[in-house]
Amino acid sequence: MKIDIKEMGFGYTATPVLKGINLAIGGNQLVSILGPNGVGKSTLIHCINKILSPKEGVVLLNDVDVSEITIKDLAKEIGYVPYSTTTSFPLSVVDTVLMGRHPHSKWKTTDEDLQKVYETLDLLGIEHLAMRSFNQLSAGQHQKVMLARGLVQEPKVLLLDEPTANLDIKHQMEVARIMRDLAHEKGITVIMISHDINIAATYSDNVILMYEGSIFAVGTPHEVITKENIKKVYGVESEVVDFRGKPHLVLIDEKLKNLELPKDSYVSMRAQETAAR
Amino acid sequence: MIFFLLCIIGSVFLFVYSLGVGHFDCGILEAFDIIGKSLRGEELARQTKHIIWYGRTPSGLMAIAAGAILAAGGGVMQTLLRNPLADPYSMGISSGALFGVSIAVIMGISIYDSSQSYAVILNAFVFALVPMAIILMASRRGDMTPSKIILTGIAVMFVFSAFSTTLMLTTDSETLATVYSWRVGTLDGISWASLGIVSVVGVIGISFLLTQARKYNVMTAGDNSAKSMGVDPKRTTLVGMTVISLMTATVVCFTGTIGFVGLVGPHIARLFVGSESKFLIPAAAGFGGIFLLASSCVARVSGPLGLPVGVISAMVGCPLFIIILVKMRSNVWGSGV
Repeated sequence: MKIDIKEMGFGYTATPVLKGINLAIGGNQLVSILGPNGVGKSTLIHCINKILSPKEGVVLLNDVDVSEITIKDLAKEIGYVPYSTTTSFPLSVVDTVLMGRHPHSKWKTTDEDLQKVYETLDLLGIEHLAMRSFNQLSAGQHQKVMLARGLVQEPKVLLLDEPTANLDIKHQMEVARIMRDLAHEKGITVIMISHDINIAATYSDNVILMYEGSIFAVGTPHEVITKENIKKVYGVESEVVDFRGKPHLVLIDEKLKNLELPKDSYVSMRAQETAAR
Repeated sequence: MIFFLLCIIGSVFLFVYSLGVGHFDCGILEAFDIIGKSLRGEELARQTKHIIWYGRTPSGLMAIAAGAILAAGGGVMQTLLRNPLADPYSMGISSGALFGVSIAVIMGISIYDSSQSYAVILNAFVFALVPMAIILMASRRGDMTPSKIILTGIAVMFVFSAFSTTLMLTTDSETLATVYSWRVGTLDGISWASLGIVSVVGVIGISFLLTQARKYNVMTAGDNSAKSMGVDPKRTTLVGMTVISLMTATVVCFTGTIGFVGLVGPHIARLFVGSESKFLIPAAAGFGGIFLLASSCVARVSGPLGLPVGVISAMVGCPLFIIILVKMRSNVWGSGV
């Protein structure tokens, strides 16, 4: 499956959010989209899966303009995991994941649909949560359920809007590893928006760096995550070190001063404090 | 499914019991005898036949049909608009219908022929659909998000209410009482013909909503997610709301505005069966039917002349809902609810 974006532009008002986007993405890989807040990362993936319609240019999926594909047919090709996981009337986990079978189903749920749902839950190690209510789950479990919902669509391309946001470091690593493994082993293109540059650098095959509504740089993590690019795009000083063959970003805050601990300040566990006194 | 079946069985028993409930003393067996004779066309005392055959029987069945329609419609409205405060009247149907009734009763103006008895019904039906027509027209000019739909409904409601209030202030007390009794909702004076119309519309409407249950589940995930799963949120919402508007307008034009059941009925059903639309729609319909029938039984024996069913349904239903809400699990609503 290949995605070609040609001279694409988009704006919610007259002010463009995206301008002159030219991208070609293909192959079984994990691609991360990086960039500051408001740079148009979510807008970009919303234009790819037709949630938004570009004002200029085209998005082609295997050389077919996505605007000419029905949303149901497009949903068979492109899955989407949103940033927010809140739901107005939560269903059970199995019913939530079952939603993802809608593009492939007609009137009723088939045994095949249910089988695929349970296979996906098993793949992500959350089969035991099947009958739990969605809003009884932790943030990490929410994210895995959302991921399962996207995967059960059996898409060739999976778009993820900050799948590691709000997760602790263990769950961030777990979700990113699953994304990478899925891309390589299930043969799908996974495109993930991330604010965690080190997670993106560690797990992504390629990285897209956005700046002011345009593509600033694309390439391997080593090619894109450089201190010059970070300085230009984010406006912060950093050092990029090589760790196990992957770039690792270390932030430098030149404005940080008074590194000494303020006098009389302390934090301690109550028992230790009592014992010390 | 068990909840739905219990509601059906309960409705049958309660309906049989309801035939004997009222200020006119009549046992259940006697009521059945009257119904049997009426069906066979045998001669009956005029008062007896009027109360049982033309009064309690269609009134009880209308309570079941209207309760089912309002609660099923309310459940789907809450799902489509992703708002627990939504009900079939959220689009301003009740205020539109009230305005239609007000101009028919107070000013003698109606859509068809104001001298006929169905002029009020026709006016109520047509004006009940005006808010939905406005929402449909507005949706052609831009995106109608759930919030915009609710706010449009509220705006339309205030406009119609203002006009209705103006008319009501200018009329005499007798006419005002007629309009007001319609406003609070009543099952008095229900005819077999109106019951037939409401039942047919209810069966067709609820069946249609059931065929869309999977789409409604997907809609709970939000518009963007729904699109990404192949559901057109705008089309699904507007089609669903149009069907619910037609169902509700059909009920409202015969019974007036019966509140509460369309708002809280789905929530009570949700507590038992969850939010999966395939189960919620029949469960809400089942509960709505039995609840409105029970309310109508209480309404018949309340006060010297009985009370409007809308008053009783709110009086009984609200405390019941609060008790259930406090006692039972509350994880059927989202974290923001």
